[in-house]
Amino acid sequence: MFKILNLSNIFNWIEKLIAFINSIFFILLLVALSFALIFSPPDYLQGDSVRIMYVHVPSAWIGLASFSSIAILSIAHFIFKIKNIKLITKSIAPIGLMFTCLALVTGSIWGQPTWGTWWAWDARITSMLILALFYIGFISTHKFISDENKANKFSSIIAIIGLINIPIIKYSVDWWNTLHQPASIKLTGESSIHSSMLMPLLLMFFVLILYCALIFLMKYKTEIIRIKKKNLKRL
Amino acid sequence: MIQNFLSMNGYGLFVWGSFAITFIACGLLYYKTFKTLKKYERDFAKEINELSSKRKKIVIENSKIASQVLSSFSKTI
Repeated sequence: MFKILNLSNIFNWIEKLIAFINSIFFILLLVALSFALIFSPPDYLQGDSVRIMYVHVPSAWIGLASFSSIAILSIAHFIFKIKNIKLITKSIAPIGLMFTCLALVTGSIWGQPTWGTWWAWDARITSMLILALFYIGFISTHKFISDENKANKFSSIIAIIGLINIPIIKYSVDWWNTLHQPASIKLTGESSIHSSMLMPLLLMFFVLILYCALIFLMKYKTEIIRIKKKNLKRL
Repeated sequence: MIQNFLSMNGYGLFVWGSFAITFIACGLLYYKTFKTLKKYERDFAKEINELSSKRKKIVIENSKIASQVLSSFSKTI
């Protein structure tokens, strides 16, 4: 079982997975974009501006999911002290930061035709901005603290504190009066989005998840090589 | 028809702008990640190549990753 977790085996798998994702990515991207920009209908209220949802919502989901995984893995790192976990969280963080920023920017672009403003200090938007700041804090500790153990400790603390912000983001639209609309897609209960829009949305989400997997694998591979390079003299 | 598609009933700038920003950001992150990975692979392979032949043999025998990086690097040059 633990043989699978060996860095050499992981490295081997990474190469295969990168090749597989590269082989299917562009076809899936074309299909998803066709649905998002051509085949999905305009909204009866928002018109064609609703198409921004196909990049905004998956970006926000990825931003939230990435930080949640970083925080949970950081807790696991505190308990089990597995070094591999830190390689994983370090590789996820830049992807999460980029998608959180994309959710903010595309949300701002969507806000102009829908609400008549680029920005509002609304609970959802502000809590997403705070999430971006937590990501910046997490990444900065690895950039500016040279002692790796110290950097790992501080980044884990930032991630665990930042975890408090995740339910705040999720429920901000229910707890406060916000410009941002409530969730249209619910895991439990009936979603208020029509299947003609839900399908392209899930397709775009899947494509962006594949993209994230690709970046994550490349970053993880870089981290493994960095460690092996550092340990070269010991071999 | 194409003009309608591009104008998105007056929302073209917002819709195309959002998609463009998303894909430019994704492209840039991919490029940066790919470049960093290749740099690390190149530096690692270079360091192994600079070792004495005896040490190089030990490193390749003891590390699957080293031998993989070295073989993939020698394929690209």
